[in-house]
Amino acid sequence: MYTRIIMSALATSLLAAPAGGQTLNVATAGDQNMVDYVRDYLGPLFEKTHRGVRVVSVGTGPGDAGSQKIYEKLAAQKSAGTTTWDLDVIVIHQKIAGQMAAEQLLAKYKDDIDTGKLVSRETAANALGADVSGYVMPMFHSQTALAYNPDITKDIPGSYADLAEWVKKNPRKFGYNGIKGGMSGVAFVTGWVYAFSGNAEQMIKGPYEAATKAAWDGLLGKLKDFNKNVIITPGNAGTLDMLNRGEIAVGPVWVDMFYTWMAEGKLPPSMKLKLITPGMPGQPMYYAVPAKAANARLAEAFVALATSPEVQAEGIIKRFNWYPGIDAKYLEGKLDRAAWDKLFTDISPDELAGKGQPFPITPYFNDVLELYEKKVAN
Amino acid sequence: MSESRTAGLLLVAPALLLVSALFAYPLVFSVASAVSDPAGGVGLANFAKAFQLYSGDILYTVFIVAISTALTGLVSIAIAGYLTMGETPWLVSGLAWLYRWPLFIPFIVAAQCMRTFLAKNGMLNNTLVMSGLFDPDQTVSLLDWRGIIVTFVWKQAPFVALLLAGGMAALDRATIEAARNLGASRLRCLIEIVLPLVAPTLMVGLILSFVIMLSVLSVPLMVAGSQPTMLTVDISFRINAYGDYPVANALGVISYLMTAITAWIYLRYALRERQEKAA
Repeated sequence: MYTRIIMSALATSLLAAPAGGQTLNVATAGDQNMVDYVRDYLGPLFEKTHRGVRVVSVGTGPGDAGSQKIYEKLAAQKSAGTTTWDLDVIVIHQKIAGQMAAEQLLAKYKDDIDTGKLVSRETAANALGADVSGYVMPMFHSQTALAYNPDITKDIPGSYADLAEWVKKNPRKFGYNGIKGGMSGVAFVTGWVYAFSGNAEQMIKGPYEAATKAAWDGLLGKLKDFNKNVIITPGNAGTLDMLNRGEIAVGPVWVDMFYTWMAEGKLPPSMKLKLITPGMPGQPMYYAVPAKAANARLAEAFVALATSPEVQAEGIIKRFNWYPGIDAKYLEGKLDRAAWDKLFTDISPDELAGKGQPFPITPYFNDVLELYEKKVAN
Repeated sequence: MSESRTAGLLLVAPALLLVSALFAYPLVFSVASAVSDPAGGVGLANFAKAFQLYSGDILYTVFIVAISTALTGLVSIAIAGYLTMGETPWLVSGLAWLYRWPLFIPFIVAAQCMRTFLAKNGMLNNTLVMSGLFDPDQTVSLLDWRGIIVTFVWKQAPFVALLLAGGMAALDRATIEAARNLGASRLRCLIEIVLPLVAPTLMVGLILSFVIMLSVLSVPLMVAGSQPTMLTVDISFRINAYGDYPVANALGVISYLMTAITAWIYLRYALRERQEKAA
């Protein structure tokens, strides 16, 4: 008797809970600004339009490390045979996205949401050589470039070849974070290999040939010599810190972090950016929904909001200084001219189109990192 | 007899289970993964790769941790020695109050503070420049191996000093006073009388510090650049960049071996002490 009363009371309370009496779990890989974006901006915005829903946002750490943690959690839940997984929306890097799609950890949801049609860049379908079409929505695109302080140095090199000469004349005035302290250093090293190997196109488009790397000994030796005249900084933020304190004059940074730090007064306003030839890599971050997300519907609504032109204009561009994830033509009228122009102060849209490159396909990417460890760092 | 034995086994079972589940199993698992051959079977390929890519970092790690342990020893002897034999009461109580603070600061917070304190244009150098001791262009950044060592010693010296001061306080004051009465200086008294008596405590403190410093990831990651770097950073990079657990585990086993060597030294020492006492 009592059991029945309790059961029915429980059932009523469950049914009576408002449709949105739910928690949406969002896991974000990447630097702190990405976590801030979801926690302080996107989460509250979604809660406003979906009453009763609570958005819980966790950061899993910068760089591919953060994405790897998300991957391991979902892979563990999959192999344990769990029926629903406890992450609803995940924000991941390119490198892991292909693997997650191949291992059926992701839901194919892009065509179910309206904003899926607004995406035009190739990265929505191709993540470092892996087919991810349908599984991901680009949150934003970001780009690396050299930041420099014109108060310390006037003659800024325009290409990797110039830079290699420049550091000889200006020892310890250039700094980057190697490959273990965040992606801006990885991007710089990748750009170096693109510049001196002549393999850039094959590395980006494939097909992979294990023999390609055999010809890289010379350029890696050159990088080792280059490193003798530069400072290895502790992390993406470490490079910006040292630029800010004037300890280095030039260093590779993420464009969005650069503008954000400047807006917060953590970099001198006189600092500038330069995208050197033949180009430096950039990358999108992806929104994805795990294959067995507990709140899949709600997750889709969340991504739809996040990739709507209004949110892309206000949140992605204006507040966080990223390039939009959806096609820029849908942002017309949503954004004032000044905010748009600010993104392109130092790097014009043409330069970005010409010199903004993707990272290489995963096997080449691993070759670059591992050979760097073997021939340059050790 | 057999009943009490069962009871004894039951009593020890929870502890045993805990140790096997949380220590023995992961240890065996990581060693097994380290000696697994990528082509199948058992082999040392992962170790070969670990040495090929990280031999420099292995030496660097030994270097950093060994120097830090030695300096931790010196600083903690100085602190504990003064606490025991200092003759200015307000200085002794001031030091006693002050030296423990770093114990309550986590490594990651210490690393974050050092990042701004030790930088080229950081607080330390700015202070030196403003006090006229240095020219601005003479300053150097200490955010490299020196920064890691400074952070480790700052963090671990209070821990060892705490143990050591306890050990010294428990000594019979009469020995110290006898030596002082016969005209030995405080320094000589510390080195020749007090230190030999508390050597086992010092040893335990230093070995624990060695193991702790070997396992810290945040400090090398945040304080210094990544070339060269410590093994913890390489292990995390191996996993995060390549998802490569076998080589990461091989690096792990290499660090177990480093701690095993210190543990072996300690055990030998402890055993000899015990035998000497028994004799």
